[in-house]
Amino acid sequence: MFKSMRRLIHKELSRWGGHCRPTASRPRALLLVLAAGLCLAQSSSDLLTPAIRRVGGTLACLCGSCKNTVATCQMLGCHYSSPARERIAKMQAAGMTDEAVIDDFVKREGKRALAVPPAEGFNLLSWVMPFVAIAIGLVAIYLYVKRYRKPAASPPVVDNAALERYHEEIENDLAKLE
Amino acid sequence: MENLGAVAILLALCLSAYAVLASVTGKLKNKPLLVLSAERAVYTIWLLLALASGLLVYALLNGDFRLSYVAAHSNRAMPVLYKFASWWGGMEGSLLLWAFLLSTYSAVVVFTNRRKLRTIMPYVTAILMGVQCFFLILIAFPESPFQVLAVGRGITEVPDGNGLNPLLQYWTMAIHPPMLYLGYVGFVVPFAFAMGSLIARQPGDAWIHTTRRWTIITWGFQTTGILLGAGWAYAVLGWGGYWGWDPVENASLLPWITATAFLHSVMMQEKKGMMKVWNMVLIAATFFLCIFGTFLTRSGIVGSVHAFAQSPIGKYFVAFLAVGIAATVYLILDRLDYLKSESQLESVLSRESSFLFNNLMLLASCFAVLWGTIFPVISEAVTGEKISVDAPFYNRVNVPIGLFLLLLTGVGPLIAWRRSSVESLKRAFLIPGVLALVTMAVLAVAGVRHFYALMSLGLCMFVTATVVTEFWKGARAIAARTGQNLAAAMIELTHRNTRRYGGYIVHMGIVFLFLGFTGHAFNKDSTNDVRVGDKFSIGRYELKVRDLLDGDNDNYSWRRARIDVFAGQSLAGTLEPEQRMYKASRQPTSEVAIRRRLNEDLYLNFAGVTNDGRNLAIIQAYVFPLVSWIWVGFVTMIAGTIICLIPPKVRMQYARTEVVGYVQKHAPVNP
Repeated sequence: MFKSMRRLIHKELSRWGGHCRPTASRPRALLLVLAAGLCLAQSSSDLLTPAIRRVGGTLACLCGSCKNTVATCQMLGCHYSSPARERIAKMQAAGMTDEAVIDDFVKREGKRALAVPPAEGFNLLSWVMPFVAIAIGLVAIYLYVKRYRKPAASPPVVDNAALERYHEEIENDLAKLE
Repeated sequence: MENLGAVAILLALCLSAYAVLASVTGKLKNKPLLVLSAERAVYTIWLLLALASGLLVYALLNGDFRLSYVAAHSNRAMPVLYKFASWWGGMEGSLLLWAFLLSTYSAVVVFTNRRKLRTIMPYVTAILMGVQCFFLILIAFPESPFQVLAVGRGITEVPDGNGLNPLLQYWTMAIHPPMLYLGYVGFVVPFAFAMGSLIARQPGDAWIHTTRRWTIITWGFQTTGILLGAGWAYAVLGWGGYWGWDPVENASLLPWITATAFLHSVMMQEKKGMMKVWNMVLIAATFFLCIFGTFLTRSGIVGSVHAFAQSPIGKYFVAFLAVGIAATVYLILDRLDYLKSESQLESVLSRESSFLFNNLMLLASCFAVLWGTIFPVISEAVTGEKISVDAPFYNRVNVPIGLFLLLLTGVGPLIAWRRSSVESLKRAFLIPGVLALVTMAVLAVAGVRHFYALMSLGLCMFVTATVVTEFWKGARAIAARTGQNLAAAMIELTHRNTRRYGGYIVHMGIVFLFLGFTGHAFNKDSTNDVRVGDKFSIGRYELKVRDLLDGDNDNYSWRRARIDVFAGQSLAGTLEPEQRMYKASRQPTSEVAIRRRLNEDLYLNFAGVTNDGRNLAIIQAYVFPLVSWIWVGFVTMIAGTIICLIPPKVRMQYARTEVVGYVQKHAPVNP
């Protein structure tokens, strides 16, 4: 399996005698050593039981290249989410509650370990402000409608004297026509 | 060559500064020749930037590794397409592309309006060239694409370059950035016209009529750019995600949202002469969010995988944004008298009101995304502690807002302009409402328990019913009158009012997008360590590893699995996921294999090899229900946008309901 890549890696490693000091003039060797490292760094032992998904879903993946949670980061061998899942599994096996596991992560990494800002103190603003914005917008719409709404048409007020005068004029005109 | 390129940029910078001064002075001193010379300067700037861009592309294609930009972003082994795409693969080149596209837009604007809008055009030219000047300062001094590699006083060169980031060596990546830039840069034009009309105290509808097409075209480019980026992420990053709420992704979404709000609210100004201040605010917000997005990508203020390397140009952007926003706010406040509404709302139950709510929800969504993007920076500044604002935050805040917007997409067409009666609303809502409820009930009975998924699918049905009803009613009336068949009548109907019916097609595209997003609630995944002959299953698929191969070429080495896919008993096809290791950058990438279907995608990623001595291939398998509808939605939206741009067969006359000034002047006076 993968014979040619492994053969190249072995050839390069033996040529370097195990002392891999990469230089710009030997990119091929460096590439192959890195490829070997990449193979070694990988493992499919990602633990994703429902219990780990539940806790991991509240924790941020801090690998720096995604905005996923520990549960949803799909990068195999991710240097943050893979060990984090293993730690969660160990703590759960030791009988720790979800809250205790999450607290442990926060103790180690600070609040940035949480996938979303905690709804307390200043960070409460992160949750409140979008809805405050909607509330302000609703008030603005109310004021706009109040200001620019056409007033309901009031029933016409008819002055009897004026009406009488118009009737007279009509009668006169009709008489002239006859 | 590098000197010629640098001189071209410097000359363009001088000419852009001249164009600003000449057009404003010419207008104020009433010297048309000066204004004309400024316009000629715009064409010359285009020529100079075309020359500079051509030189950079030539250097990239021919591997001129004396230039530090070429050495950093290109190499000999890359295919020609990606060598060309290296133009925008790095900071300096992408800024040159920005400047070049702006000069192209400016030249087109000046040419097409050379005999029109003479009162505001000098100001429009000045604003376009002011923005041009800013970007030319960046590429003339701190971020020159023509810097050479030097040792002491001598120019040197490296034998080969680093190459373009392997993740960017994918066909959509060759199109996605230019599309986004065409969007970002394009919004400068309506902004320039809006501000030009304010400066000239002519804030009527002329700027809107002139820039309507620009805005729609630009919006189309921005949509294309965003969704091509989503397509790239889906097909390249190896985890099947298309949107990660990364700050730079968010930065591209923000102006798109405000532009969408503008495209709706501008109808209020066209038809009713209302919301003039709001439209000014929206177009200005769109422009400044474009600049903010460019700033975010390049300043390093927030961490992002998409960001360019940290650079000192952040402060230039801050200064530009501060001056630009202050000037815009001053102009709008100073010209409020010219922005008075000409009409009144006749009823709360009207299309006008639905536009108000549409704008509110779009802006709320924009604010929520902006807030989530910058909140970590604000929080750290205030509390001194870093926090994360990741995908769950955006999903919790934006999903309900998005669903409400989807509802409004369906409600809008059901409500008449001016006023609707409760009775007519009942009639209009009956069929779409019942269909939506039936859809939700059927899905619930079928076992769908995800609340948002149920709501989304129900609302998709609701909007589809309203849009189909609109086409059906219109086409049936035309068919009855002309004797055409229904399909021909539908084409005729669309041709008569391209904006309206093109808009409905765009709305259908939005429905398809939501359908695709909703599928996310039902994703499945599994990770499997396999050797040749092994079988594993996911969803309704059985997968059998037929072969495992490896090899290499000049650009990269690769490992590939050949996997037969069985759906039930029959062979549904063979997928070949691949992992690559690029030699120049020493970076691995995934070439995922996808079996795309409208109901679901089967997605395989060759993730690596186990390190336990067994040397098994690690295959990540995913089933993504409905995700293909996102790409169907994209194509539908672009089709709708193109239809909106076709001149209508029947020219619409929008009678204003009531002009306030007219009523006051001519109102009958009691004797």
